[in-house]
Amino acid sequence: METVSRLTENYFYLVAIILFVIGTHTMLTHSNMIKKVIAMNIMDSSVFLLFVAIGYTHGAQAPIIRDGADIVYANPLPGALIVTGIVVAVSVTAYALSIIVKIQRSYGTIDCDEICELRSDD
Amino acid sequence: MESAGHQPVLIIVTLLISAFLSPLLYRWRKFLSGMVLLAALTGAFVTALTLLGQVARSGELSYYLGNWPPPWGIELVIDPLRVYMLLVVTGVSLWIFVYALRDLEHELHHDVIGWYYSLYALLVASMSAMTLTNDLFNLFVLMEICAISACAIITIKDKRECLEAGFKYLIMSAMGTGCFLLGVAMIYMVTGYLNFSFIQTGLAAALSEYPLNIFTAAALFIVAFGTKAALFPLHVWLPDAHASAPSPSSAMLSGLVIKIYAFALFMIFYRVFPRSLLDAIPLNEIILWLGAMGVMFGSIYAMLQTDLKKMLAYSSIGQIAFIFMGIGLDQPLALTGGLYHIMVHAFTKSMLFMSAGAIIYSTGVRRISDLAGIGRVLPIPLLAFTIGSASMIGLPGTGGLISKWYLALGALETGRIFFLLVILASSLLNAIYYMPIVINAFMSGDEFKEKVKTVPPSMQATLVVGILLVVISGIFSRQIIVLFEQALTSLY
Repeated sequence: METVSRLTENYFYLVAIILFVIGTHTMLTHSNMIKKVIAMNIMDSSVFLLFVAIGYTHGAQAPIIRDGADIVYANPLPGALIVTGIVVAVSVTAYALSIIVKIQRSYGTIDCDEICELRSDD
Repeated sequence: MESAGHQPVLIIVTLLISAFLSPLLYRWRKFLSGMVLLAALTGAFVTALTLLGQVARSGELSYYLGNWPPPWGIELVIDPLRVYMLLVVTGVSLWIFVYALRDLEHELHHDVIGWYYSLYALLVASMSAMTLTNDLFNLFVLMEICAISACAIITIKDKRECLEAGFKYLIMSAMGTGCFLLGVAMIYMVTGYLNFSFIQTGLAAALSEYPLNIFTAAALFIVAFGTKAALFPLHVWLPDAHASAPSPSSAMLSGLVIKIYAFALFMIFYRVFPRSLLDAIPLNEIILWLGAMGVMFGSIYAMLQTDLKKMLAYSSIGQIAFIFMGIGLDQPLALTGGLYHIMVHAFTKSMLFMSAGAIIYSTGVRRISDLAGIGRVLPIPLLAFTIGSASMIGLPGTGGLISKWYLALGALETGRIFFLLVILASSLLNAIYYMPIVINAFMSGDEFKEKVKTVPPSMQATLVVGILLVVISGIFSRQIIVLFEQALTSLY
């Protein structure tokens, strides 16, 4: 019972991990390259979600210090880190998509299995 | 801890600036563009040498980026082991670049060479920063820069197998960084820090309270760095990527990029994880077994290859596993061997890829069976190949002997004879696939049939420097070993 209540309290961690597993699994098992890139983004987003959730405190406010007030502040650092993380994920995605365009031009397909067959014919 | 001057950050900034300047200059004066990057790499190497002097005088130094002290700011730490790695990175990349200046004209379309310089500078900058950084999130960002530029120096060669290999590499390394960031999140959750030193004290306290988080993080780190450094079951991306790339890229990727992740794993194990964590779960044992399997399977796969560069790529899987075995044995002598192997293998494998590149440059031959009699027409590249093979096997007088010697001593010291046998067996296997090439190249009765183009003097000179480096690292190893002994005693 205690495990269940801990899970429901921290449901965002659970969601993040489920998304991470979906992302990793799709990325490694699907042969369509666009799907791989989408899965990579799901995986990255799940980690970002988890990271941002760490900084969340129930009932807390943005950390702008006001004199005399007794306020609980949220941790701003995870958010700041994840902005960097998103930029990194965007650039990796852009690069991956540009490779896929080139692969499509030279192989005529974006399916990993078909490319393997084409290469074994060479 | 004293604070250093601005040299550590200058190394990184200079390389980043030249990454912007090189492609711009390339449109205007092609020659100047290469010279700018050459100057930046030389500058980085010389600055790293001055850092070595500083460390020798005053011990460990630290540098706060933007003058924000940790735990708030990013900290760069300059200690003997990191400076050693920094010297290997900057020195070897400078050496490979001299070779690349001529070889690239042959391998790439001349429009993209300026961009290649840019990627090269980014790659070296990210690797240099990875050796120095003392911050987990900073390490993540640098890993991504390193991954993108490492993939891009493969896919820049507009051939279809390069594109496919680069994509596979990108996906695998995206999985690696995803796992790494998840691990960082787990650790940040329980400690609230990102700085290595603060985490180490934080984890020691949190271990009893949140063991599951920390164990998960440790597992994720092993997967992350294992994928990036091609540790045995996660190596599938490596052979295609390293074999299809242009030769200077292969030399960089096999010589430095996979090692930087092995070094990062070493740093995580001994600078981030507290001793109590390494004692609580058998992390080193896992690395040791995976390393031992990598040593054997890498060599066995290499024996089956018919393509010269593919064989060298598979051999890298076996050789990187030696570094992991050093970490796995968890013993000062073995760690010495593993760390020394980083340098030796950087010299040797880069030289082997460069001599393979020289062979391809002048004859276009890639198949191992077509190399009969080539030693008489291309003496210097094949001499370099011979010395490199000797170092891979671990013959006396080459660097390969020293690192294997210390690894073997470490295995004996911990009483694990099995791993000594693994090291010996791998040497024999290396001899089985390297020696026939050498013998065939020099002793074969057949004349070499293909048309031969002369190898440019600058490429020949880099190969001669490589021969000297491999031999010097095999004869004058004392100084570096003493440096390791002093640095490693602080870990136990």
